[in-house]
Amino acid sequence: MNLFTLFLSAMLINNIILSKFLGMCPFMGVSTRTSNAFGMGIAVIFVIFGASLLSYALYYLVLVPLELEYMELITFILLIAAFVQLTDMIIKKHSPTLYKQLGIYLPLITTNCAVLYVAMDNITQKYNLIETIVNSIAVPAGFMLMLVIFATIRERLQGNDVPKAFAGNPIAFIIAAIMAIAFTSLSGLV
Amino acid sequence: MNALLGAAIAFALVGLNAWLYTANKKTPVPEGCEELKPDCSACGIRDCALRSALTERKEENNGDN
Repeated sequence: MNLFTLFLSAMLINNIILSKFLGMCPFMGVSTRTSNAFGMGIAVIFVIFGASLLSYALYYLVLVPLELEYMELITFILLIAAFVQLTDMIIKKHSPTLYKQLGIYLPLITTNCAVLYVAMDNITQKYNLIETIVNSIAVPAGFMLMLVIFATIRERLQGNDVPKAFAGNPIAFIIAAIMAIAFTSLSGLV
Repeated sequence: MNALLGAAIAFALVGLNAWLYTANKKTPVPEGCEELKPDCSACGIRDCALRSALTERKEENNGDN
């Protein structure tokens, strides 16, 4: 597959939130303010990229030679959790400024199923290393894009007179549905 | 033999996680970051480590009112 097509497809057309419905927790939980959404988005890009490359290496360098492919799920979960802990610790120790920006979002990412999805997807789609790198950047970039767009809309909604029955999460779900419909139309691009 | 290797890999990863978790807990939080709290009230994951902080903050706010 052409790398540009893969990037566009992973980021916009097969968007992890709007077409796969993964990572819905941060999508709903951390989208009340644009600044929060941006911080979370950056943290997700970093963790998904790092965790995907580590999982890829673990699968092809350890599990495949030992014929332990059936262990990919359990090993990837543990690897992602360890990677998040390690990242949190390094940022805490060496970069207080970065910790202020991303620190509170890192523990949330451990429970983000999008991270596991990307790691597993790279294996099931049989991507090579370059395709894995492109996919591991494009998917979280799409996640961040949707999160920031959604947060911007929710921020603007706060000043509006929403009917009581729709206030809060109900109107947020309606917006998410409209966004999903809008992004479906991009499927003609590829 | 392969099953044993698989179990060893799983145990190694669990051990790595446990070690990193305790090391992370022991690492001091940078100055000025002690009171960082997430704004994630809409999230439904009840066993998240951040949820207790959020619940405490809500209780504090209720107590003040």
